[in-house]
Amino acid sequence: MTTPRTEKQATAATAPSTGRPRPGGRPPGQQRKRKKGGSNTPAARAVSALWFLTPLALLVVVWLVVVAITDPPLRVFPQVGDVLSALGDMWSSGELFDHLGASLRRMGIGAAIAILTALPFGIALGSSAALSAFFSPLLRFSVALAGIAWIPVATLWFGYGDKAVIFIVWNAMFFAITYNAMLGVRQIPTQLLRAARSMGTSRLRMFWEVLLPGALPSVVTGLRVGLGYGWRGLVAAEIIASNAGLGYALFQAQKYFQTDVIIASMVIIGVLWLLMDRLMLAPLEKRTVERWGMTGGRG
Amino acid sequence: MTALEITGLQKNYVDSYSGEEVTAIGDVSFSVNEGEFVSVLGPSGCGKTTVLNIVAGFVNLTEGEVVVDGQAVSGPGPDRGVVFQSHALFPWKTVLGNVVFGLRMKGVPRAERDAKGKEFLELVGLGGFEHKYPHELSGGMQQRLGVARVLANEPAVMLMDEPFASIDAQTRRKLQEDLTRIFEKRHPTVFFVTHDVDEAVFLSDRIVVLSKRPSRVREIVTVDLPRPREWRTALEMPEFREIANRVNELLVDDEGAAAGADKDPGGATDADGTAVAGV
Amino acid sequence: MASDTAKPVRRAPAGRTPRKSGASPGVVRARKVWLWLTRRAAFRNLGPFVPVVALWWLVAEMGVFDEAFFVGPPRVVEEFGDLMEKGILPGYLTDSLTRLAYGVGFGLAIGLPMGFVVAMFAKVRRFCWPILLFFQAVADIAWLPIVIVWFGFSLTAVTFVIVYTIVFPLMLSVVAGVEQVPRELLRAARSLGAGRTRVFFEVILPGALPSVAGGIRTGLGYGWRALVAAEIIVGTSGVGFMMFDARRVGDISQVFLGMAVLGILWYALDAMVLAPFERATVERWGMVRSLEADG
Repeated sequence: MTTPRTEKQATAATAPSTGRPRPGGRPPGQQRKRKKGGSNTPAARAVSALWFLTPLALLVVVWLVVVAITDPPLRVFPQVGDVLSALGDMWSSGELFDHLGASLRRMGIGAAIAILTALPFGIALGSSAALSAFFSPLLRFSVALAGIAWIPVATLWFGYGDKAVIFIVWNAMFFAITYNAMLGVRQIPTQLLRAARSMGTSRLRMFWEVLLPGALPSVVTGLRVGLGYGWRGLVAAEIIASNAGLGYALFQAQKYFQTDVIIASMVIIGVLWLLMDRLMLAPLEKRTVERWGMTGGRG
Repeated sequence: MTALEITGLQKNYVDSYSGEEVTAIGDVSFSVNEGEFVSVLGPSGCGKTTVLNIVAGFVNLTEGEVVVDGQAVSGPGPDRGVVFQSHALFPWKTVLGNVVFGLRMKGVPRAERDAKGKEFLELVGLGGFEHKYPHELSGGMQQRLGVARVLANEPAVMLMDEPFASIDAQTRRKLQEDLTRIFEKRHPTVFFVTHDVDEAVFLSDRIVVLSKRPSRVREIVTVDLPRPREWRTALEMPEFREIANRVNELLVDDEGAAAGADKDPGGATDADGTAVAGV
Repeated sequence: MASDTAKPVRRAPAGRTPRKSGASPGVVRARKVWLWLTRRAAFRNLGPFVPVVALWWLVAEMGVFDEAFFVGPPRVVEEFGDLMEKGILPGYLTDSLTRLAYGVGFGLAIGLPMGFVVAMFAKVRRFCWPILLFFQAVADIAWLPIVIVWFGFSLTAVTFVIVYTIVFPLMLSVVAGVEQVPRELLRAARSLGAGRTRVFFEVILPGALPSVAGGIRTGLGYGWRALVAAEIIVGTSGVGFMMFDARRVGDISQVFLGMAVLGILWYALDAMVLAPFERATVERWGMVRSLEADG
């Protein structure tokens, strides 16, 4: 191929996340159409919401019927009604909000610290070829290890409780975001940097005006990967190292074989993740990466 | 002998943005004789690529009929080989693997198809590159491979969709001359879509000029320049300029109205889900 | 077109001779050696660990942190030798890797065919997509409690969780990979006489491979974490169990050792299995390689 190397890298930059399709989106095939703006009418939205909910509703029906027919003991598998009443109990006793609040607070603090520390660090690394060459293998190593494997050390350092859990969330996200921010900056076309510099952009402004937005497709990927690890780290750390939170609730329920509470908590965890993706990541992506026609973060 | 016959071709599709039905091709009829080189030209957005996609069987037609070698077209088939603008080579197959792909589909034994593949690689000037991968070739060489891959399959018609549009100007000249040489040597039937007037005049026996959307055949211009053709001599021929000017005039007449038109609905991305036959 | 031209424009006055010509022969030779070194993949990949380990050593030696919370490389190496001798570490390693192998094996066997079925049939996909997204969203680790209720802490339980972690990212990446195959290639194959089956095996399967390779990598990354989590939470053996057991008795050097082992194992797995696989296929074909962020 006669394509110069930089150009190849640029193409690579447009598809940084093969294998990590957005969890909140529609099947890729349908997105092509949506891009043209055809399905943004309320009616079309309702139809697509219906398409999203019907299979899930059917799944619940199957669950209902199968459990009704096989009638397993509650400690093996609960009926839909059991789970709903468990949810109701958790709601009315206020337990639900305690756990939810604890989990979300830890996730929020950990994620905020991770983003605030990882983004500047990653972008700084990315703006130097030597630094990024040096840190790449280290970061890849750390990403592989991040999160759950740190739980024993974290509990040793911080004791059981909030601090350890927040540390795990931070740790799980930090390396993934740093690594992707660095990659993102490396993938900004040289010409763009030169153009900015030739217009007299100062260093600080370079960060805000060129490096950060240029690295954004990759950063969004990093956020998604990092949040995924952070979320798992949170659940695991709460199981082990705390006395509140969704993970803790799960683990308590397991001790007493309360499958209804277990399943209720699992559903909450799933719904929370979907909401997080829909309400935070997808809009961020839509407003920046997609709006600018950079189409990152999608296969 | 008629190799390809298009009668009363019409294509409507529903615009996924506005939901309106759009007529891309109004009424197109023409034919290509065996061993003839016919180009289709038209203002941008007139749907010439759609015509090709319909002939290839990638897109369904709304009205009319396309007959290749006496058989009505439905779906893609090996009797109509396509050379794509984007080359569309299989990156995971070697150069030889790409050339013999069609023969393998036919079940030709290995020794025979390899020999034939090599013969066609020689023909397009790619001898010695058998075991390279496509990404190791230059753009021009990739498109030669695209041509060889179709010719090796010996289709009734070779369909070429702006094959040289993404290639730099100098290489393009060279490729056009090579294509002419191959055509003069083996006389395949060629259906060639382009937006480059000089290219069409240089390569073709006849040029079908389409009007703006909804497209109709405006005129069919016969190119009776002597063969073999070469750019150096062709450009000096007054007949060459005359024909090119004539075609240009036909296109310019339409231009004002076509300026606002979209890109080719050609890929018919809009009609995809329903219209793409078999893929 | 070097990609590392992101450095500031040289500020030296225009008339000055470039610094290079003034360099002594020794400097030139050192630079050559450096250039040669930086071109070796092994040096590029392993070299950065040398100063990091040195720093770790230094911090530990200087006693910045209490020894109950932070130990240096010598203690970790010592612990390693000790546990190897006793046969504890090899045993635990075997346990962990066996679990991972079972999980990955079943995960691939289930995820790949299901992924292709979902990807190939639009109706199946439309129906399965929300369910897929939902199950992908329920973090795998959240399944541990119910799985333990069902199977107790057994190989089945761990395998279940690892399979679960691998199947969903894998299916999603297969779908993305199939979508990613250029339409022109499908058309080219069809117009060269390939039928549906041939198109699948000759075009769709290899075309989806880069994305699938990325998916396997992602899945393995998650599976690895799930394994460690399972071993920590309810383990009776394995590297994760070793770490948490050590933490319970406050043996920090074993905890550090466990982390080092996990990291090195993953690195080796990545360098020896996944990366060569990608090189043999994706890079050789000159296709855009997925820049997978996670290890």
